[in-house]
Formats: sequence, structure tokens, C-alpha cells
Amino acid sequence: MSRDLLFHFRPQKVLAVTLRFTLTWGLGGMAALMIMQQLVTGLLLDVFYQPLPVRAYESVQHIQNTIFLGRLVRNMHHWIGHVLIIVVLLHLLRVFFSGAFYPPRRVNWLVGLGLAVLVLLANFSGYLLPWDQLSYWAVTIATSMLSYIPLIGIPLQEMIRGGEEVGAATLQLFYFIHTRLVPAIFFLSLIYHFWFVRKAGGVLLPGQNPATRMDKRKFVPVSPNLFVRELAFAAIVTCVLLLYSMFFDAPLGDMANPHLTPESVKAPWYFLGAQELLLHVHPLVAVFFLPLGIGSFLVLLPFVKTRENKPHPLLKALFLSGIGFLLVLTITGIWFRGPGMRLMWPW
Amino acid sequence: MVEKISSSRRSFLTKIWIGLGITALLQAFAGAITYFMSGRKQIKKNNSKLLRAGTVTDFQPGSVTLIAKGHLYLVCLDDGGFLAISRRCTHLGCAVPWIAERKQFECPCHASIFDITGNVLKSPAPRALDLYPISFEKDWVTINISSPIKRSNFTLEQLVYVQKPG
Repeated sequence: MSRDLLFHFRPQKVLAVTLRFTLTWGLGGMAALMIMQQLVTGLLLDVFYQPLPVRAYESVQHIQNTIFLGRLVRNMHHWIGHVLIIVVLLHLLRVFFSGAFYPPRRVNWLVGLGLAVLVLLANFSGYLLPWDQLSYWAVTIATSMLSYIPLIGIPLQEMIRGGEEVGAATLQLFYFIHTRLVPAIFFLSLIYHFWFVRKAGGVLLPGQNPATRMDKRKFVPVSPNLFVRELAFAAIVTCVLLLYSMFFDAPLGDMANPHLTPESVKAPWYFLGAQELLLHVHPLVAVFFLPLGIGSFLVLLPFVKTRENKPHPLLKALFLSGIGFLLVLTITGIWFRGPGMRLMWPW
Repeated sequence: MVEKISSSRRSFLTKIWIGLGITALLQAFAGAITYFMSGRKQIKKNNSKLLRAGTVTDFQPGSVTLIAKGHLYLVCLDDGGFLAISRRCTHLGCAVPWIAERKQFECPCHASIFDITGNVLKSPAPRALDLYPISFEKDWVTINISSPIKRSNFTLEQLVYVQKPG
């Protein structure tokens, strides 16, 4: 029966060429695996976590210090959350450069973009939950960026905070988003995302030359060929994440204090690009027009027709320079900004 | 003979169904938004209150006093003019401390600097610190903390006096 269940997501046979690891780098599978791990570790944390300002910080301390393996579970949940963002970004890059967003994979590209936003939302909503100084002020800064959006900015910010400042209502809302809303949408859209890969006939084949295509039409059974590879890769990824979480603790600062902003507080690292940009250009550009532009670019991408369903070199260059730009901003924001946002060397 | 169903009637019904569906979706969406917003309104209503900062004699001319409960500073300028200045940085919302030795507000997050009246001395802060309305009841200094007043910079009209000078 379990076999039948698995074959809902996998065909009986796949093309031998698609087994090559460097075709996908296992990025989509890795992301799915890590989401499963987040679900398990998240459920374990949820047993003891209490989403109230007066209790949250204590309960996280309780998980870390008295619960058996609690620290390891929290470390895993924390680090996997961060790595997941990088894996999802790499997955998006791989799909872009192999041109796997053109029909028939167009809808799935859009679903994938939605999932990427969901990963960011999950990470950001989870950021506040420890209720320490870092999380409180990082969320204050990140939600303050919303206020620069014209017209709807302030109402949106107040809706997300549940008031004028980050407080009990914010924690409750973020807890709801993190533990109910995001997992529910994840569950439904991930099923769709996977099912559509199968519907589109598996991963996109390398090379479009029809002459060589016939040689590649060699099918092999999924079990054991694909399953064994996936299992081995999953084991390696899990080992690395587990080892890292054993040696590196997730940060937990002092309890949140709305009266005292600590020195050198920053937004979560994935928003530091926007925060960095906020120092250089008009806020409207940094938090509104640029994200809107990037979003529309990604959404409209599969609707621009090209020959042979490969992205135009110009498009590739534009995309790559955009990513490079964002990377430089983010790296500057993470490592080159000291207290008071002064530029400094990271060493 | 089977009566032929008019295709225009069928498409009309289809359109009605689609229209109803969209209306239902919009309603659900509006309902969800209102659901979340209503909590915010309730909080706002509860917050609409007056805060007694102290008596007039508590605040010396040329002093800046933190009123922690209201997340604001009560500034009394040298000429006796009062200002209730929000502690929230107008850039990204950090709590701005008053640095007494340099007589300015310095934001720890992105190094914005404000003078004693809340005016921006150094960006990235886009505008002066928000104000709260002050009133005097007998000897009490009362601040309405329900809603901060946004301003681009300090003007003399913003000062509140116990008795108008001269």
C-alpha cells in the first residue's frame, strides 16, 4: 500500500538521463525534505511553546534547558529555516536557467513562486516567536518598512502588528500564521507542486537537439533506481543538518524589552537587502517599486515567448545581474554594517 | 422533438454563476480583512486615553523627561514651551534614546540623529519625531497618547505653554 502511495508522486519508470544528480542538484527534493523536518521539529516545539509575551521567552528557555533534546530540536528548527531559504532560492535559479518554467510547467512555476513567498512568510513569522530582543526589534524594523508603501502601508503595518507597536496581538497573529496558516497552505500547494512535476512528464530533459533525443529514451524502473538515490541524498542532508545543529546553538538574547532598542539591531537577513537599499534610495523604490518589479518579472517570465523554450541570453543577463545586485546588498547588510549601521569590515 | 436550449440563455446563466462566484469570493476576502482589522480598531479604542505625565513644576526648562508608560519624551524648552515627542524613530520604528551630554536623540539602529525639538539632524530618518497633543488641567501636564501627529519638521506653533509668554 505504501508503494501505491509513493507512486502517486512518482511514475513506475523514469528516463535514465533524469537520474543524473547535476540535472537538478536535488534542490527541490531537498526543500521538500527540509519542510518535512520543519513540520516534525515544529510540532515538537509547539508542545511546550506558549505564545504570550510574558510566557514565550520563558517557554523557549524551558525547551532549551530542561526538555530532553529540546535544545537540539530548537537548533534544528532554527537552522533548517535559514538554510531552506537558500535552498529555495537555488531551486528557483536552477529552474530558471534550465528554462523549466515554460509551458507545460508554467502554472507550476507560479505555484513555486507562491511556495517561495510562503517559505519567507514562515521564516519571518517564526522569527518573532522566541520573543527576545533580537526577534522583537528585527520584526519591528521589518514591519516598519511596510509603512513606506503608499496608501495601504500604514493600515497594512497596523494589521500585521495588530496595533501600533509590536506586542501581544502581534505575537498571537504571528503564532497563528506560523503554526496554522502556513502549514495548511504548504500542505495543499506542495501536493500540487509535486503532482504537476509528474503531470508535466518529470523533470525537464537536458538538451533540445532532436537527433540526440532518441538515444536518451531509455527508461528505468523508479524503484530502486530513483528511490535509492533520493534516500541516500536525504540521509546525507539530514546528517549534515543534524551535525550542524549539534554544534551550533540557535541564538537567544535577552527577553524582549519594548523600551530599549539594542545596539546594532537588524532586520532578518533575507530582508537586509531591502533595508540596505533603504539607506541609499527613496523608500518608495526600496520597499515598493523594486519588490513589485521583481515580483512582476518573475510572474510574467513564463508568458514571454521564445524559440526552443529557452530563456533569451538578455533575459538571463538581466536575471543574473538582479540576483548579483541583491546578493551584494544583502552581504553588505549582513557583514559590513556595524552598530548604528556604520560601514565596517566584518573582521 | 427535443427542444433546443437557447445558447444565449445558457451562456447568460453561466455568466450569472461566475458573477455570483466572484461576488462570494470578494465577500469572503473583505470579511477576512475586516476580521483582522476589527481587532486593531478595538485596541485603538482602548488606547485612546489621556496620560498624566506629572505636574508643571516637575519639568524644568531645558529638560527632557522620558515618560516610559507613553513611550514618549516630555520636552520642556528653555523658554518654557512643552513638546511631547514620540520615542519611535520615524525611519524604522526603533526606540530612540536621549543622549544628555550631546543634547540630542540618537537612534541605535541606523544612526539617525534628532535635536531636542525632534527635528532631523542626520538622516536616514525622513521626518521629525511624531508629536502628541498636550493640555494643562490645573497643574497637571496631560498628554493624549491615542494618536501621534506626524510632522515633517519642528515649527514654533507646535510648542505648548502653560501661559503664553509676553
